[in-house]
Amino acid sequence: MAATGAVVSVTGVCWEACFQPQRNRRVSATKLQSSSADAVVGFSRKCRVEGATLMSSCSSAVKPSSSSVSSCSSKPQQHHGRRGRAFATMATMAESPVASELEKVGDVLLEVRGLCAVVEATGKEILRGVDLTVRQGEVHAIMGKNGSGKSTLSKVLVGHPDYLVTSGTATYKGENLFDKEPEERSHAGLFLSFQSPVEIPGVSNMDFLRMACNARRSSLGLPEFGPLEFYGFLSPKLAALNMDPSFLDRNVNEGFSGGEKKRNEILQLAVLEADMAILDEIDSGLDVDALRDVAAAVNGLRKSDNAVLMITHYQRLLDYIKPTYVHIMEAGRIVKTGDSSLALQLEAGGYEALKESA
Amino acid sequence: MAPVLQHSIAGPACFVVPRRTIAIAAAATAPRSAAPRCNVASVAEPQAPPAGSPSLPTGSAVSSRRYPRSVALRTALSEPAKSGAKIGGRRHGAYVQEAALRDQAEASMSFVSASTPDLFLLDLASKLEDSIAQDGLANDPLARLREEATEATLSCHWPTNKDESYRFTDVKFLKQANINPVNVPSESSFDPASLNLPDSNGSRLVFVDGVLCKNLSSLEDVPEGVVIGSISSLPKEAVEEHVLPRLSGVARRSEGDVYACLNGVGARDLVVVIVPTGVKVPKPLYVLYYSAQGGPVGGPDSAFALSNPRLLVSVGKDAELDLVEDFTGAPQTLYWTNSVCEIDIAESGRVGHSYVQEQSLNAVHIRQTYVSQVTASTYKLVEAGFGGRLSRHNLSIQQLGPDTITEMSTFLLAGRKQLHDLHSKLVLDHPRGISRQLHKCIVSDSSGHAVFDGNVRVNRFAQQTDAGQLSRSLLLAPRATVNVKPNLQIIANDVKCSHGAAISDLEEDQLFYFRARGIDVQTARSALVFSFGAEVLQKLVGEGLRKRVENLVKSSLAAEGYIKPDLPVTI
Ligand SMILES: Nc1ncnc2c1ncn2[C@@H]1O[C@H](COP(=O)(O)OP(=O)(O)O)[C@@H](O)[C@H]1O
Ligand SMILES: [Mg+2]
Repeated sequence: MAATGAVVSVTGVCWEACFQPQRNRRVSATKLQSSSADAVVGFSRKCRVEGATLMSSCSSAVKPSSSSVSSCSSKPQQHHGRRGRAFATMATMAESPVASELEKVGDVLLEVRGLCAVVEATGKEILRGVDLTVRQGEVHAIMGKNGSGKSTLSKVLVGHPDYLVTSGTATYKGENLFDKEPEERSHAGLFLSFQSPVEIPGVSNMDFLRMACNARRSSLGLPEFGPLEFYGFLSPKLAALNMDPSFLDRNVNEGFSGGEKKRNEILQLAVLEADMAILDEIDSGLDVDALRDVAAAVNGLRKSDNAVLMITHYQRLLDYIKPTYVHIMEAGRIVKTGDSSLALQLEAGGYEALKESA
Repeated sequence: MAPVLQHSIAGPACFVVPRRTIAIAAAATAPRSAAPRCNVASVAEPQAPPAGSPSLPTGSAVSSRRYPRSVALRTALSEPAKSGAKIGGRRHGAYVQEAALRDQAEASMSFVSASTPDLFLLDLASKLEDSIAQDGLANDPLARLREEATEATLSCHWPTNKDESYRFTDVKFLKQANINPVNVPSESSFDPASLNLPDSNGSRLVFVDGVLCKNLSSLEDVPEGVVIGSISSLPKEAVEEHVLPRLSGVARRSEGDVYACLNGVGARDLVVVIVPTGVKVPKPLYVLYYSAQGGPVGGPDSAFALSNPRLLVSVGKDAELDLVEDFTGAPQTLYWTNSVCEIDIAESGRVGHSYVQEQSLNAVHIRQTYVSQVTASTYKLVEAGFGGRLSRHNLSIQQLGPDTITEMSTFLLAGRKQLHDLHSKLVLDHPRGISRQLHKCIVSDSSGHAVFDGNVRVNRFAQQTDAGQLSRSLLLAPRATVNVKPNLQIIANDVKCSHGAAISDLEEDQLFYFRARGIDVQTARSALVFSFGAEVLQKLVGEGLRKRVENLVKSSLAAEGYIKPDLPVTI
């Protein structure tokens, strides 16, 4: 029989109630018969970050984390970025800034200490003790080989359910980030521009943006925007990104080119007016013009009280958005931190050159 | 402690058949591909019942008055009719007795022979024939169709779950119910204001109980040369050229499906739409099917009023038409709309087809759609199904030339005590066809049931076919049931085909994307449940229609608590 056919018959046990919080673990109680060997039926992942409480021992986490602190504190460098103040990425450093610089240093916005995280489904450890401190007004860049854990770090910070935090802390605006649901983190002004934004067929970009905007507004006690008001609010932001209004009628990210998806992420950033923007490879898949538009939009959104953490492979993005600090990530931790010259070194000689210089 | 959430998730069941690799499979079926013709022939051949099998129980005979009067039928029935005792009358008690006997008879002979008449079916066909005769329609232009359909009905039987294509779809309840053909439709028997007449200023055709209602229909902005109307009102040449060829071959096209045959027996009208060569109809043609007559629900008088609307659409070379079909009926009544639609698309022609089924919740909706596509033609169907206790759509698309484009996007929402069934079949016999099928269904109640059988057959000469098929089902309630069988049969060896089926929960990544943008879980879930169908519904033609369907979906899902009532998401 040439038919590559599958019969999937399911009598399912589903939602007891529709609107249960995500916190509840679901019990899959599916009776599934597949009458064809061709059918590959898998169960979609069901998991979430469990908060900062220590779930399993993370012995490897302690050592790397402390070693990275010591490597950093043993080589204090004078920072040549636009603020020209002491290198204060690590928490240990931040606690003792040079007194004269004190008033210039913004408040700590995000502080990550010894963060370890695993893929919940497999238990595979990805983050092995990440330390990072981001202050208001700063721009941080994280670079590192593919698979080093950059995207995982950014997703863990916004509460992606695929990962489980096993140890370490993340404090955002003085509060425990891992106590908050993903939507609460967003309301608090944390934003991730995804490396691969998901497509949502059936939901128009306009409706999505307005829902997001109104969710933030009501969390701030502001009145929600009606459709027309919202369009007025949105128009200049679209224009700043050189985006055609027809984007609004299309379904969220559906059929968007790589560049269009990135523009759309930055449009969302602009709409949400976030305080801490994590930009995961916003430069990949962009042509020169698109990169310029996107970078200009990001720069246009910068204020003295917000901050940017961007993940990139390329210097060309850093030419547009000048980093205060550049971090190198390797095997789930930040192994080197410096100023923008670190990125230039990397561009010239690759990761091997960095290792030698270390 | 929050209650434990129970979910049923299975999926994705996806696999891709890459180019070339199916050559092995192709070799394996090659001999089979030659076989079907012989098979069909052998079924048509009357077979002697095997020795020892029970002969037709004589006690089951029903008044001969009720059998169709065609010659073939009389011959087939002559034996039992002669020896049988006759039960006359149409009283309820007698009916029950008949039904019991009939069931008994069929239980003993259903697999004996394909040529054994199905008494229930013959009774029904006979009632249809009677109603046609009573209305003096017996000699109208449809006589030929009826004759052939009656003959075809003889070789059919009422489907049971032993028939592959009715394995999951139970039609037995109809057999146990009273079914009466609709009476001569009277246009004053209902209020036209209750119709969902479209807001657009395009043309519309309104069927009431299977007959075109001229008072409610109107033609506007119809380009010259376009012919629209009942067969009886058409110019003779148009009938001869476009209609008569379509009035034969019913048996072949129905492929043994009894409902298409019954429609042929009982059709009181045939509405024809002919778009000549090169003509592009600028506005959608809206066809509303309204079932006004219906028996009361429950009680001894409960009966289904059966109507058989029939539409024929012929779109010429380089011509274009957007067709919108909408099915609805009187609420709180029992009726059965058994419709047939045939669409022929000539070379480089295009038909956009929107199909919305919003029958009353007690109704039965059975529908056959036949589409034939000549070289470089395009057919795009968007179907949305909501109503009816039983809804079955047999969609059959035949490719008659190369370089065709075929799209099928369907969304079915099965709620309380509803069964929605789509059987689609696309046969590709020529090179370079492109086909895309997306089937989605939501089952929102424990007693809801959705069935999908999607067959795409890529035959030997259909090289360089590009066929994609995807089915996704969302089960929202405990014990909600879905049976899906997407299947690609590939005999050509240079093709690009993919298909997949997933019975899933909402996509976790999508849900997270909403939450990461600050949208709460409840709203996010609502939006995703709604968008699940909206992906298909967006493609419906006409703003007014989309808006109406949007409200329909929202109100029914909100009533069951699956979406927030004030969800700010639109189609
Ligand atoms: N959800 C997941 N399931 C399984 N493995 C994952 C998942 N997310 C990340 N990984 C694995 O973790 C490692 C780091 O991935 P990622 O954070 O995406 O790296 P980067 O962004 O630095 O390229 C990779 O080996 C990747 O395969
Ligand atoms: Mg990455």
